Amino acid sequence: MTDLRTLHINGEARPVAIGPGATLLDVLRDTLRLTGTRKGCDEGDCGACTVLVDGNPMNACLLLAATLEGREITTIEGLAAGGELTPLQRAFVEEGAVQCGFCTSGMILSSTALLRDHPHASRAEILHALSGNLCRCTGYGAILRAVERCTGRCEQCANGGPGAARSAPHAGGHASNGSGAAATNALCSVGKPVPRVDAADKVTGRAVYTADIALPNMVHGGILFSPIAHGLIRRIDTSRAQALPGVLTVITGADVPQNTYGVSPARYDEEVLARTKVRHVGDPVAAVAAVDEVTARRALGLIDVEYEELPAVLDALEAVKPGAPLVHDRYERNINTHVAHHFGDVEAAFAASHHVREEVFTGNFVYQCPMEPQAAVAFWEHDGRLVLYSSTQAPHYVQYMLAHVFRMPLGRVRVIRPCVGGGFGVKAATNPLEVCSAVLSRKIGRPVRLVFSRSDMFHYYRGRHKQHMRFKLGVDAEGRITAFRSEIHLDGGAYSSFGVATAYYAGSMIPTLYKIPNYRYDGLRVMTNKPACGAMRGHGVPQPRFAFECLLNMVAEDLGIDPMEIRRRNAMTPQTRTVNDLDIGSCEFRATIDEVERESHWREKYGHLPPGRGIGVASGGFVSGAGYCIYRGQVQTQHEKGPEHFQKKSVFPHANAVIRVSEDGMAAFLMIGAAEIGQGSDTILVQIAAEAMGIPHERVHMKSEDSDISPLDLGSYSSRVTLMAGNAVAAAGAALLERLRPFAASLLGCAEADVRARDGACFAAGDPSRTIEWAEAARRYFNEHGPLVATGCYKPPDGLGGDYKGATVGTSPAYSFGTCACELTVDLETGKVRFERFTDSHDCGTPINPQQVHGQVEGAIVMGAGEAVMEDVQFDERGRILNPNLHGYLIMTIKDAPEIFSGIVDSYEPNGPYGAKEIGEGATLPVMGAVAHAIRNATGVWIKDLPITPEKILAALDQRARAEGPTGQATSAHEVPVGAGP
Amino acid sequence: MITGELHEPTDLAQAADLLARFPGRARLLAGGTDLIVDLKSARTSAEHLVSLNRIESLRGIENQSGLRIGAMTTIAEIERSPLIGGPFVALREAARQMASPQVRHLATIGGNIASAVPCADLPPVLGVLDAALVLWSPGGSRRVALTEFFIGPRQTIRREEELLVAILVPAPRPRFGAAYERFALREGNSIAVASVAASLTLGRNDSITAARIMLGAVAPVPLPVRDAEPVLCGRRLDEGIDRAAEVAMEAAQPISDVRGSAAFRRRLVGVLTRRALRAAHQRAREASHD
Repeated sequence: MTDLRTLHINGEARPVAIGPGATLLDVLRDTLRLTGTRKGCDEGDCGACTVLVDGNPMNACLLLAATLEGREITTIEGLAAGGELTPLQRAFVEEGAVQCGFCTSGMILSSTALLRDHPHASRAEILHALSGNLCRCTGYGAILRAVERCTGRCEQCANGGPGAARSAPHAGGHASNGSGAAATNALCSVGKPVPRVDAADKVTGRAVYTADIALPNMVHGGILFSPIAHGLIRRIDTSRAQALPGVLTVITGADVPQNTYGVSPARYDEEVLARTKVRHVGDPVAAVAAVDEVTARRALGLIDVEYEELPAVLDALEAVKPGAPLVHDRYERNINTHVAHHFGDVEAAFAASHHVREEVFTGNFVYQCPMEPQAAVAFWEHDGRLVLYSSTQAPHYVQYMLAHVFRMPLGRVRVIRPCVGGGFGVKAATNPLEVCSAVLSRKIGRPVRLVFSRSDMFHYYRGRHKQHMRFKLGVDAEGRITAFRSEIHLDGGAYSSFGVATAYYAGSMIPTLYKIPNYRYDGLRVMTNKPACGAMRGHGVPQPRFAFECLLNMVAEDLGIDPMEIRRRNAMTPQTRTVNDLDIGSCEFRATIDEVERESHWREKYGHLPPGRGIGVASGGFVSGAGYCIYRGQVQTQHEKGPEHFQKKSVFPHANAVIRVSEDGMAAFLMIGAAEIGQGSDTILVQIAAEAMGIPHERVHMKSEDSDISPLDLGSYSSRVTLMAGNAVAAAGAALLERLRPFAASLLGCAEADVRARDGACFAAGDPSRTIEWAEAARRYFNEHGPLVATGCYKPPDGLGGDYKGATVGTSPAYSFGTCACELTVDLETGKVRFERFTDSHDCGTPINPQQVHGQVEGAIVMGAGEAVMEDVQFDERGRILNPNLHGYLIMTIKDAPEIFSGIVDSYEPNGPYGAKEIGEGATLPVMGAVAHAIRNATGVWIKDLPITPEKILAALDQRARAEGPTGQATSAHEVPVGAGP
Repeated sequence: MITGELHEPTDLAQAADLLARFPGRARLLAGGTDLIVDLKSARTSAEHLVSLNRIESLRGIENQSGLRIGAMTTIAEIERSPLIGGPFVALREAARQMASPQVRHLATIGGNIASAVPCADLPPVLGVLDAALVLWSPGGSRRVALTEFFIGPRQTIRREEELLVAILVPAPRPRFGAAYERFALREGNSIAVASVAASLTLGRNDSITAARIMLGAVAPVPLPVRDAEPVLCGRRLDEGIDRAAEVAMEAAQPISDVRGSAAFRRRLVGVLTRRALRAAHQRAREASHD
């Protein structure tokens, strides 16, 4: 059985007790507490657990630890000897190759092995060596640049430091035009490619994610999920599980708080554990706590549940038909949300249009697939306070929801967010791990840890809604849009989750990009017996945006107008109110079109590429933060508080910051509950705080993870953090400087109003030669007044949006705009798409950190491109997921990733901190449309059904060949676009 | 969760003893890249795991008038071995495309064959190289042609007491070329949707004197297409390639799954057969004439 064996790890002989079936991964993480080796899938698919065995990279999850005696094992903790980063680790930090950090250990170990054997590895060798390490954040460009920098092969960076490295060829180059150049140059931290504040911890494996947390006396839990799509629970017998030695408790729907929960207050329809009915494969039914994970898993297998299976409804278009099985009795015809937004008179406008085209498009089930599985650790303090560690991107909403479920005041719930390994929306809602770990812990009086397996993640889902879209677009003779009508059925799965907002977003964002005088949107979010859909990067908008951009390109073809030109003719302009009452502020959309046209060599390529090669274009944009909170009224203090009337203003600030300066004046602690999930918010908020206070960013230390310490920020969703948290932090920094001003003035002997602070020094305006230390002024403050503390907060402007039902969704203080061209090759015999190059240009305002902007763009393009051609959660006829793993559900590897040019146009957003607005979600929106257009351009066929698989391309080519008949005329793939447009 | 007792024999006799001691209850553990995952997910179970990793005689590649590859040689070793070049280069190509670098350092050629997964990458190539397998038991060893080894998904003619110890690839004939064409849904770390290996030997005037085609991922077993051989032999490639591709498509018995429909797979077989034949032909023409 369990034997004492000696493993040689990082140069040390470690005697360790190993069970016969223990994998190296579990021994490293659980027994030796070397948690830098990450568990992303436990099936050998993701590479997050890569270690070196005798120098060769291997998956620790596939190795039995007991077989490794005598072998030399190197983990990430073994690389930075004596605390000094290796050149490769340093390159990862400086090139921005780290975002969420969950893949980083494995990436670095794979690269280390490569560079040891091939110090001058070619690009092809690097791609080959890293093809077993999946990354969901970076799009791989920065990772490739970091490794190439260490081979001495990267020409641009061979002689340069980190700044010079950012135009490595794989990225095709980056362009930051540095808007408001004069203003930016005066800044010290903002606008600079400052390396991430958490990067060093991530490249050394020191970063702690939720599943790495092991509290004293902690036990392990597991959740039993429904194996059927729809059924009544007739009986649950937990006696066999209870009797298993090591099992501490087993809970079912009868043992948990009866309050339902969810996201939208009007539709809290999720039970903690199903009481009478299960609604999808993966619905939580029971949970256990046991002394270890193996016992917990074994206990789940001993819970006997008797179901009465009910007919399941799996298709959104079937679910709305009379007589279809009801997923919830409360949603008639399974309609969860109905949106009817009618602006102007579309029918009259169509009748008067020069050209009208109507098409049907279908989306896919796309899963966010963060590399880090969700995890939660809960315990209860002696005074009855709940403490929860969770991998969440919206800690405040989790806190709010737990207070609701347990009927406690908000102040009695403490949520701690350790490092989060990516979210993309899936970690925005409160999940069963968070609730069940708290229930289990309360029952047994010990800390309980729950972690999703990769399969659990897919069955919990909350990924993209599959949208069935019927779109109709009318234009005048010049291609100017006269009217647009959108009818969408959103397949929502079994619960509401974020879906109400999704259904509104699917309609509201379309008019932000182009001027649409008449617009009608009818949306139905429909319940089906599949896992609930939720919010994913671009929330509700990417599929309608894909469809709209395709339709616009079709209309351009019909009229012989160049696709770039039709966009320019309809492009949104600054300071415009859209037909659905959204207020557009800064808008450099046209500049993005122009830049992409230029950088992609559009005119030389569009219509001039040989068959099988194509170029396409699409545009997109997003909100910079939702204008309104998910729940209404004041911040909740008591669960008994009744619903409040909606007001067209924010009752409380969405982002709140506190800054405290250390007693010696040499450090500042920035406290704000903004959720760093890999996107880099901790870093840009530190930059903003430093800039606002006038000290170097190295002196600012982020405290964003603990709700007891950091004031409320609504979290990382709706691309809100840069603008909203950034404004709160800038305000706190400015307030702090105000407090310091009298002390600096007296030291400088100048008027208070003349005090300037910059880079750790204070000086009098007009006399920058004489300076005093900023810290000296801060020390004076402390000596007289005690702690130097200031606060800042941000509320979106009052009155955003119109006065109709649902007018709030889509409101924002600012909007981003972007355009993207895709160039690709299609193998006309197999249908296989090979991406060559993306050219992206974005109006994200004035960037706080251009390196991070490019990182978001590259990640968004690779995610969007994969979503367009390969990502699809597939279900069988009984509602079971056919590919709940990373070898069946494919995300792009480094070998699939295209070359990317990322450009930032000059822009300044007055509502944003230092002129900034969002990038993370907006950058994903043009991608799918550009891909579909490029495939059309390469093959002559439009695929309107996502994902655009090789099989669909071949089927469409066949259909066209049949339509053309045996004589095979007009077989050129380019019969339409050649010579099109002025 | 993995239960069961782990055994680490250091020679074949010890391994045979263990198999004899636990009939029907022992599983052989090679690289473990399939078995460990199956054990964790309880798709399979084993009371006894007999690891072959400490049997040194099962490792290594030799070339003495043909290749002898130890069954526990890893895919990465095949990918990097200077011996796997020239006429055997298709084997390297198949190894390079398989799974991920990490998995290739674990997975073994023996495991890739003996697990008899229909989409395995190495069997089609080894088949067209006329490889034979050495099956050893305490009673003696026997050689079987690789093409005769498979009888169904995860089923082979290997008897329970036998161990696959080596793979023999005969020395190349003059003017011989082989190639491997594979279709997958992404470039890295992928599973074949369909694959085709082909080899050709050319005679005078580039007429084909011997031909082999073997399919992967489109039948319950790695499938030799014997009916294509007479279509090609005695002809120049251009005269037989279309018909050979048709024969391969007819021979395929694909299923539909998450990676593609049966019809799509069958169509891929035609495309890949043509490509593999052309590449093999090119190599045969470039091969030395001696």
